Amino acid sequence: MSSEFDISRNITIGQYVPTGSFIHRLDPRIKLLIFVFLVVAIALNTSYIGNAVGLILSLYLFWASKIPISYGLSGVKPAIPFIIILAVLQLLFQGQLFSGGKVFVDYGFILITSESIRLVIVSAVRFIEIIFLSSVLTLSTSTTELTHSIQSLLSPLKKMNFPVHEISLITTISIRFVPTFAIEMEKMMKAQASRGADFGSGSWWRIIQRTKEMFPIIIPLFNIALARAEDLILAMEARCYTPGGERSTYSVYKAVTKDYLILLVGLLLTLLLLFYPFPI
Amino acid sequence: MTVKPIIEIENLTHTYMKGTPMEHVALKGTNLYVEAGECIAIIGHTGSGKSTLIQHLNGLIRPESGRVVIDGEDLAKKKIDLKTLRRKVGIVFQNPEDQIFEKIIGDDIAYGPFKMGLPLKEVRERVKWAMSVVGLDFEEMKDRQTFALSGGQKRKVALAGILALKPKILVLDEPTAGLDPRSRNELLDKIKRLNKEEKLTVIFVSHNMEEVAMLADRVYVMADGKDVLSGTPKEIFTDKEKLVRHQIGTPETVQVLYRLTDLGYQVRTDAFSITEAADEIMKLFAGRKEGTEHVQRI
Repeated sequence: MSSEFDISRNITIGQYVPTGSFIHRLDPRIKLLIFVFLVVAIALNTSYIGNAVGLILSLYLFWASKIPISYGLSGVKPAIPFIIILAVLQLLFQGQLFSGGKVFVDYGFILITSESIRLVIVSAVRFIEIIFLSSVLTLSTSTTELTHSIQSLLSPLKKMNFPVHEISLITTISIRFVPTFAIEMEKMMKAQASRGADFGSGSWWRIIQRTKEMFPIIIPLFNIALARAEDLILAMEARCYTPGGERSTYSVYKAVTKDYLILLVGLLLTLLLLFYPFPI
Repeated sequence: MTVKPIIEIENLTHTYMKGTPMEHVALKGTNLYVEAGECIAIIGHTGSGKSTLIQHLNGLIRPESGRVVIDGEDLAKKKIDLKTLRRKVGIVFQNPEDQIFEKIIGDDIAYGPFKMGLPLKEVRERVKWAMSVVGLDFEEMKDRQTFALSGGQKRKVALAGILALKPKILVLDEPTAGLDPRSRNELLDKIKRLNKEEKLTVIFVSHNMEEVAMLADRVYVMADGKDVLSGTPKEIFTDKEKLVRHQIGTPETVQVLYRLTDLGYQVRTDAFSITEAADEIMKLFAGRKEGTEHVQRI
């Protein structure tokens, strides 16, 4: 309501909402592991009840981590067009592949059955569940924690000469700069609006005009990004950063009984979603 | 005076990220009155709400509560002509050189006028005028590449880009930050001339008290989202008690004069321009024979 330039507010990636809940205090490696398990389980579960369980679980996690659900919803909002397009395409064109169950419409190549409707509904709900889960993960875990845990979980791959440290460094930097660039973009939009630019005034189908309107933001933003990258290089070199060097971390994670218990609960939920024969 | 102010801000509040855990109150009831043709400085520490305040002046942020009236137009109304407002109030943001995006100087300055839909001839005239005001030679510079410019020149180009809109009110957020002393003096001189000769109303945010003393007709001091003090530079910089209370810095001349009075010398502390301050100090030498000895003590 306050202005047309609220971009940073709507970007939840790389944002951390410190509420100090028990989910925040969990060992980040355990959190990441459970997240991966649950995402796999949700992606493979095709039953209505199973996905309802997943949805309730992800809503419960918001409640448990004391993060306002509005954060999760603002993550879903930009995905709505994709969900709708996906649903329409699946409904129209995937009937032949999932042709079990009752046939509702059979007209030319369009075949709509109870199985293809299930596919449409389940994929939409699945999408929302996964957005909720990843929102809880990123909102309750700082980026440093996240990358440290990626690094520590991937460390066995070092033996295969996989550049674990480099990969985690690249991820940290890119996640870290998402909100920064959102702020820069907001500033740039304000600055250009002050000299007469207007954004989003053209109709949405006039793609070329709307793209041209973005030049005054995108070009300076590129410059700023490159300048920042150079600064970062200097700052790292000034602190004697050497690629591939042996390094220790400031925070060392130690999982305690509570963390293992949570891991067990997560595993059980995953197995339930994967193998329990839900009636519908 | 019965002149109606060109900017009237009353009891303005603003909260960032409202309704989220990151909620932050930036303005808690700020007032600002500016008359046409004045040069106003806004000073205050980082986070005191200066930038939030100036973004209200051309409707980048709409008033949450309180009154913002710019040149007779109430910004609290739902439907306002933002385009006209933004032409009337030109805001030059911090590090405006970042916003240059065209390859050639002339094109970049012409962006605003073109967006206004002016005919080519008029655009050309405006670019020429804006470049002359900031001290860039039109014929020589208009086809130069923007990326090859020095920091000071880039800032001039950015300022010209705003001036080409022919605003009535010019707002500058720390216009001289990061410039070398020579570019700084040049830019200040241009701003002063815009105010005095082109009769632009100028509002600028600054941390540099010398600038404030040199340019401003009146000063607003912001602290914690409120305007805590306002007055002429003379009134502000001579009110020692309030300076200390609000932790306001003073120009170095004032600091020297205050130290002299603390040491028991008779000097006027409101003589903050460099020449006046020098005169005050020279008076001390004239009044004493053994003056040098005392001065060494300082």
